[in-house]
Amino acid sequence: MTLLPYVGRRLLFVLPQLVGILFVSFLMVKLIPGDPAVLMLGPFATPDSLAKLRAELGLDHSIFVQFLIYLGKAARGDLGFSWQTTMPVTTDLAQRFPATLELVTLGLLLALAIGIPLGVAGARYRRGPLRAAADYYGLLAGALPDFWLALVLIYVFYTLLAWAPAPLGRIDLSILPPEPVTGSLLIDSLLAGNWETFQNAAAHLVLPVLTLGLINAGPILKMTQATTERMLDSDFSRYAELCGLPHGIIVRQAFRNALPSVVTIVSVLYGFLIGGAVLVEIVFSWGGAGQYAVQGVLNADLNPVLGFVLYSAVLSLVIYLLVDLVYFAIDPRTR
Amino acid sequence: MTTPAIEIEGLEVEFPRYGTAPVKALRGIDLAIAEQEILGLVGESGAGKTTLARAIMQLVPPPGRIARGRVRFRGEDLAGLDPERLRRLRGQVMAMVIANPKSELNPLLTVGQQIGNVLRYHTGLTGKPLRDRVMEMLKEVRIPDPERRYDAWPHELSGGMAQRVVMSIALICDPRFVISDDATSGLDVTVQAQVLELLQRLVARHRTAMLFITRDIGITAHFCDRVAVIYGGEIVELAPREPFFANPHHPYTVLLLAAFSHNPRLRGYWHRQGTSAGETGPAETGCPFAPRCVRARDRCRAEAPRLRELEPGHFVRCHFPVER
Amino acid sequence: MALLEVRDLVQHFPIAGTKKLVQAVNGVSFDVEAGETVALVGESGSGKTTIGRCVLGLIRQTAGTILFKGEPMGGRRTVRSAALRGRMQLVFQEPAESLDPRFVVGQTIGEPLVALGASRADREKAVRLAARRVGLAERFLASYPAELSMGLQQRVGIARAIVSTPELIVLDEPTSALDPTARAEIIDLLIRLQKELGTAYLFISHDLSTVRYVSRRVAVLYLGSLVEEGPATELFARPRHPYSVGLLSAVLLPNPHLRRETTIRLEGEIPSPIDLPPGCPLAGRCPLVDARSRENMPPVEEVAPGHRVRCFRHAEIAAMEPATDYFEAFQRETERILAPPEAERAGVGA
Repeated sequence: MTLLPYVGRRLLFVLPQLVGILFVSFLMVKLIPGDPAVLMLGPFATPDSLAKLRAELGLDHSIFVQFLIYLGKAARGDLGFSWQTTMPVTTDLAQRFPATLELVTLGLLLALAIGIPLGVAGARYRRGPLRAAADYYGLLAGALPDFWLALVLIYVFYTLLAWAPAPLGRIDLSILPPEPVTGSLLIDSLLAGNWETFQNAAAHLVLPVLTLGLINAGPILKMTQATTERMLDSDFSRYAELCGLPHGIIVRQAFRNALPSVVTIVSVLYGFLIGGAVLVEIVFSWGGAGQYAVQGVLNADLNPVLGFVLYSAVLSLVIYLLVDLVYFAIDPRTR
Repeated sequence: MTTPAIEIEGLEVEFPRYGTAPVKALRGIDLAIAEQEILGLVGESGAGKTTLARAIMQLVPPPGRIARGRVRFRGEDLAGLDPERLRRLRGQVMAMVIANPKSELNPLLTVGQQIGNVLRYHTGLTGKPLRDRVMEMLKEVRIPDPERRYDAWPHELSGGMAQRVVMSIALICDPRFVISDDATSGLDVTVQAQVLELLQRLVARHRTAMLFITRDIGITAHFCDRVAVIYGGEIVELAPREPFFANPHHPYTVLLLAAFSHNPRLRGYWHRQGTSAGETGPAETGCPFAPRCVRARDRCRAEAPRLRELEPGHFVRCHFPVER
Repeated sequence: MALLEVRDLVQHFPIAGTKKLVQAVNGVSFDVEAGETVALVGESGSGKTTIGRCVLGLIRQTAGTILFKGEPMGGRRTVRSAALRGRMQLVFQEPAESLDPRFVVGQTIGEPLVALGASRADREKAVRLAARRVGLAERFLASYPAELSMGLQQRVGIARAIVSTPELIVLDEPTSALDPTARAEIIDLLIRLQKELGTAYLFISHDLSTVRYVSRRVAVLYLGSLVEEGPATELFARPRHPYSVGLLSAVLLPNPHLRRETTIRLEGEIPSPIDLPPGCPLAGRCPLVDARSRENMPPVEEVAPGHRVRCFRHAEIAAMEPATDYFEAFQRETERILAPPEAERAGVGA
């Protein structure tokens, strides 16, 4: 199938997919016990003011109507207000989403840098120290909770060694953040030519990125190792051995054949970590999107939750489209 | 006679089993193949044909191992070589053509890349000279439209074309010895005819020695110089083509040939009632074929026969060979 | 009226996502009389398997008629009609794949009778009878397919095919997966069953040696067209179509002296059955091709009683090809060479 019509068709489906995702999330959040009006006005509010607030919030309509009202506003770029931050959700997310993206992207890159080489080494050597290292690493990374590792790293590198800055956010409070262009502190500070801010932001990123990277290297390692091993046992690898190709080349080709599976798991991790990194975000006071959404759920603050769902759904769908394009590039059988 | 290309002496291959004695996949194979000779090896599934092929290449899949015997390539004992030298021999000097080529080709590499890889990693050739040589090979195996096929992916090839690609890979380094393991099974009969003709031409031109392994005894009658029959991990008969088919001595050979007869009484005579290839395995002691042999006597069950030369060049492993 | 009449059968399959068609069968006509064996031979893309499926009513033909006992066939609806149920059966190529691994053999054999509404008692009786007929020991009826050898599995497949005493059995490469000794046994069994039950066989195969033994008439197919048809002995000795010649000369019998020599060589590979050009399907590979055969499909011509060819130049082929039946010669030679030694005919090993 040719490329352009394929991409076009996929993008066409994004819209109905988003509506579906939003509707399900809407329903689920509405099912959370808790009256938003009571939560907003406090326990001493009068029934009149509660009723008035409910009418204002549109809570006296049916769920479907409420959803349609929300959709209508969202289509115009209005995602409502968060009653906790008293800011428009779009503004909140404009700040928080890039924070999470920056963290998760760097974390995954580190995870790839650790996981893939170890995974390939584990597949290549059936016995020996490298294989043992790969096996144990995979085991540990799967067993350790990410926030626990974060706390340990903070304790070692901040409390004991004072190498890392305090886990109080993305940059020191005393430093002025650069002009937000992309939302990524690293890129924005470089664009502004502000080297000091860049260094500071980078220093703050070290521990959380290390946490995410070390933990998520686990699943990447296991997927790489398992698939590469399967490829090494396959007919074409045995045939390459028969042809006398050097072992290193055989392993390299086996890994290349395993690439689609690795790409798949990276895409799944990416989508997951946008919200799933919330515990790490909380430990480092990162002010990320996950934290934002969790607080919305805990306080029945609907708009942040829906806004977060919308943003991460769009991101996930885009990632999956990119992944499918990567498959096209790697595997000729898909064309 | 000059040094044969391949000499196999007393080759035994076993696979360990848990708790009991290991399974002997090959029980002492003696075979020699001369330059430019095509030796056919016939046997049913499980007789040891592919094990022999892999053992010659020193690539018996673990936990199997070569227990005894040696394989000499142009006089050189392959077992004593270091792994790097062995690797260089494979593909360059000894090569293998296999069945089911589509599953043996890497789905993510083009035809040109895969043929080129073997040439590159053995000779260091790269760039244009490499591409030219690959193209030359594709033309030699008569692949239609070689320029386009060079960039084709394995899944786009038909069975016959994939087989030609595999032949190109095997022959591109001009090997002295080629093993063809069931290379024509699954092919349409007219395509098979073309592939066999091609192999014959290539063998003559490159003066290669060939071990042609097959389950179809009919092919050997028209394609091989000498024919060997393997049963239960042993060579039971070996002869040049003419005497082999004019005067088969071993009861198993006769059984194989009788299967082509339309005369049920003739077939019934040589086929022992109640036994069949799938159900009756080779005997562990004595003659392996005794359980299925219509002529088996007590001596056959007690004592394993040795390979004897009944007529010049015609060897049989049987206590009571069929004589005419 | 023949038991099975196929007239101008056409079967084209559309390819998803394009406007192209796989032209699997392009106007095939033949008959099968009651109790006889007709073989369909050909290589990949010949359409022989598709024809078998059409005849059984498993797929609805694109065009053409199939009459079974005078009733038109076309798609699943007709197969399920009471008159036709159980009258036609099928034996598959891969015995292991055609037997449900979760059912014991006895259940599998009885399956067709379930569809026919037979009582349990009747079913069991019929299953035992079928098993006896195919030489399957009764103790195997309680086994699972995985416990049996391929040869036995194929016997199960045959037992299942005869349990409803059908009038026609379509056999799609029934022996290709078996080794030569098992193959010979199954063929003997099929011949014996035909004598006992009077069933007709539509025998689809690429194994020409077996086909010669088992069939009365043979139809040679190439890219969905029937290029030659006739009595087996006649066709194998005197093929009149270049493709038949090519096919027969490619058969390698285990005798170094007996091989059909011919000057007719087919170049190239079998093309794909998509977007076939007009004219004779062999035009792209035939050494005798000319402008006429490139543009026009040769008409059916009867060259001898019951022997029909579709080739403009069949007379030339008859002239240049030897009229020898190598298969017959091979059988005589084999019997001569492999005849049991005189001295030993009496006492055979224990």
